[in-house]
Amino acid sequence: MVESGIRLQDYSLSAEQEWLRETFHKFFEKECPTAVVRSAEPLGFDAELWQKLLRMGIASMGLPPSAGGDGATLIELGIIAEEVGRSIAPVPFISHIVATRLLAATNALDDVLIQAIHGYQIVTLALQPLQSGQPQLVPDAAIAAGVVALVNDELSLYRRGLPAGHVENHGRTPLGRWQPSDGAECLTLARGNEANTIHRHAVMEWKILMAAALVGLTEASLSLAVDFAKARYTMGVPIGSLQGVAFPLADVAIGVAGARNLTRRAAWTAEYEPASSFEIALMSFANAARLATRGTTTSAHMQGGLGFTAEADASLFFLRSKGWGLLAGDPMRDFVTIGESLVASNAATDEPFISADQ
Amino acid sequence: MDFSRIELDEDQRGFTEEVRGLLSECISEEEQDRQYRDGSGFDETLHFALGSKGWLMPTWPVEHGGAGLDPVRARVLELELQRAKVSDMTLLNLRAVWPAIEKHLDAALVAELRPGVARGYIRFCLGYTEPDGGSDIAAAKFRATRDGDDWILNGSKIFTTEAHNSQFIFLLTRTDPTRPKHEGLTMFLVPTASPGIEIQAIRTFGGERTNIVYFDDVRVSDRFRLGRVNGGWTVLRGPLDEEHSLGGPKSGLEDLSIGSHYADVLARAVQVAADWAATAVRADGRKVSQDDAVKMRLGMAAADVEVALSTPGPMGRVFGSEALIRGSADLVDLVGADGLLTATSRRPNGLNELEFAHRYAQGTATYGGTVEVFRNIISQHILGLPRLDLRGRKAFLQNSATPR
Repeated sequence: MVESGIRLQDYSLSAEQEWLRETFHKFFEKECPTAVVRSAEPLGFDAELWQKLLRMGIASMGLPPSAGGDGATLIELGIIAEEVGRSIAPVPFISHIVATRLLAATNALDDVLIQAIHGYQIVTLALQPLQSGQPQLVPDAAIAAGVVALVNDELSLYRRGLPAGHVENHGRTPLGRWQPSDGAECLTLARGNEANTIHRHAVMEWKILMAAALVGLTEASLSLAVDFAKARYTMGVPIGSLQGVAFPLADVAIGVAGARNLTRRAAWTAEYEPASSFEIALMSFANAARLATRGTTTSAHMQGGLGFTAEADASLFFLRSKGWGLLAGDPMRDFVTIGESLVASNAATDEPFISADQ
Repeated sequence: MDFSRIELDEDQRGFTEEVRGLLSECISEEEQDRQYRDGSGFDETLHFALGSKGWLMPTWPVEHGGAGLDPVRARVLELELQRAKVSDMTLLNLRAVWPAIEKHLDAALVAELRPGVARGYIRFCLGYTEPDGGSDIAAAKFRATRDGDDWILNGSKIFTTEAHNSQFIFLLTRTDPTRPKHEGLTMFLVPTASPGIEIQAIRTFGGERTNIVYFDDVRVSDRFRLGRVNGGWTVLRGPLDEEHSLGGPKSGLEDLSIGSHYADVLARAVQVAADWAATAVRADGRKVSQDDAVKMRLGMAAADVEVALSTPGPMGRVFGSEALIRGSADLVDLVGADGLLTATSRRPNGLNELEFAHRYAQGTATYGGTVEVFRNIISQHILGLPRLDLRGRKAFLQNSATPR
């Protein structure tokens, strides 16, 4: 919420961050045209593209120098995630980055991390806490050699017996139905409160990076629709000059601009003021998830029947908007959590208000 | 990228105290009550008090009547005024038009006006919109005709908010109806006390009072013309860009758009609703704080506040306004019939900010150009979509509406 005191409101990127954005923007433009996205279906993983990314140092970039990484912050990782989303690249960027950061934070055994840093092994994170024996749909589990999961208040890395079987899905992602059993080797990372705190933090990082990816995804989908609206004519004028077409697209642009900035602020807050970052992380995610659904729907629709065809690239973005975003669960639950903490912070201090007599 | 809290040094904290001191001294409950009832967002005593400190134009140098404030102090002042709910209409007008006045008005006249502007006894209202014109202000029909060294003004301007508290109207006129639409306009600064000017109040359901101003053969000296004859659109561009949030941030301290003001109103409404939800109990004994539907909607409105604060320029203007419209309506629903009581009701329940926000919100979609005008700006300037070539876009169509 709005607080008293003065804060800077500088959303701009530094020269280095701008360079990073530019570099990955060009990389994906060249290496991941939509033909690559299509040919990776239905699994949603392109091993060759992933190898190219690993050679750019993507796996170790976000780890602390003490774990052999470059110490990139969530801000830089968010910049890359936005480009991953823009190109809807079939790579497990977010899962792997978040899971390895968690491993580094828990001082997981060196050889485990080394395997992960070099990308010899892909690791991922089960986003919901589990009861033992309960299966869960885990992002990228179908291609992962390791799953970090919080099971009965124990945070562990599960290896061997993996990857889990792929389940075909709406977003064409390597989703796997996974459960903590079946001869997997289990390396315990933390227990009790500590395990919960670490897991919660990792989910928060996942949500911020996914919010960034959804911003890029929505903007790319919007730009397809804008190009179409400039080129398609009706009654002698480009359809984009008509407010019935232009205004819904303007609304998506409004959403993208706000969601990008809010996500940047969430990444900055998580990095520099982690104690107060939970709500803004949820806000950035829930907002971006809803924007992505609305934005890709609008963008497909503005291309009429053509936008509804599987052949149109608009379809790729539409399917991934839910297919990526929903992996962390219903965004409305996040709004409940935000409201809960608002009410709780008021309840602590307040005299009884009025009766709600109805 | 930087969102750090700025730690105020001792001097700056002292300044904050000074601002708070002045505000608490000058703002009285009676005066606020009067403003609420008559809808005038102007408190003359407070305005003069701010002027005496140089805080109306706080970044102006002291010799010009400002306070020479640095960006941090200027931001402190802005936030304190916001917190004290000081109406910003007069200040917004002042800051929107002054750069154009300084640039385009006769230099001697500018020098005459400057101290009064800084002290607070010279204020401006905007004479753009005409009763049959709406947001298409370049279609102005208001006539100015030359008469020797003077001009004769005839016509009317509507939504001239604060006209009754202003010494001048920043006036858009048509001086040549035969030229293309944007090329026959001329700007003037006209004293509102001129003979032939009549100001009438217009009430809004948002509670604010605005005005309609009638001009009947009003005579103004050519000295009060801004810029070239028929060059009015150039003069107006600066203030319009300012109103359209096209300026862009400068020091990293400013709000990203006018939408932040609307977000602030929504933030207060969320706070009130959250206070209520924390302790309220339903008639059947259930605690409101246990209700997920309530929490979800509070969470959505709170998130919209943050999105609005983060959305830049013309996009922020649209989002802020519509988030406030959406959010305030939903928060009133959330509270139920208790959310309907006004500040003037005999048994106020502390929830009237919700009722007020819901009414106030509606005007924000029109202030400074409707959200549709802004969607046009976004479509054309940000998305690069083609502009529809309508007959009246460039030509001045005299007969497009009933002439007065």
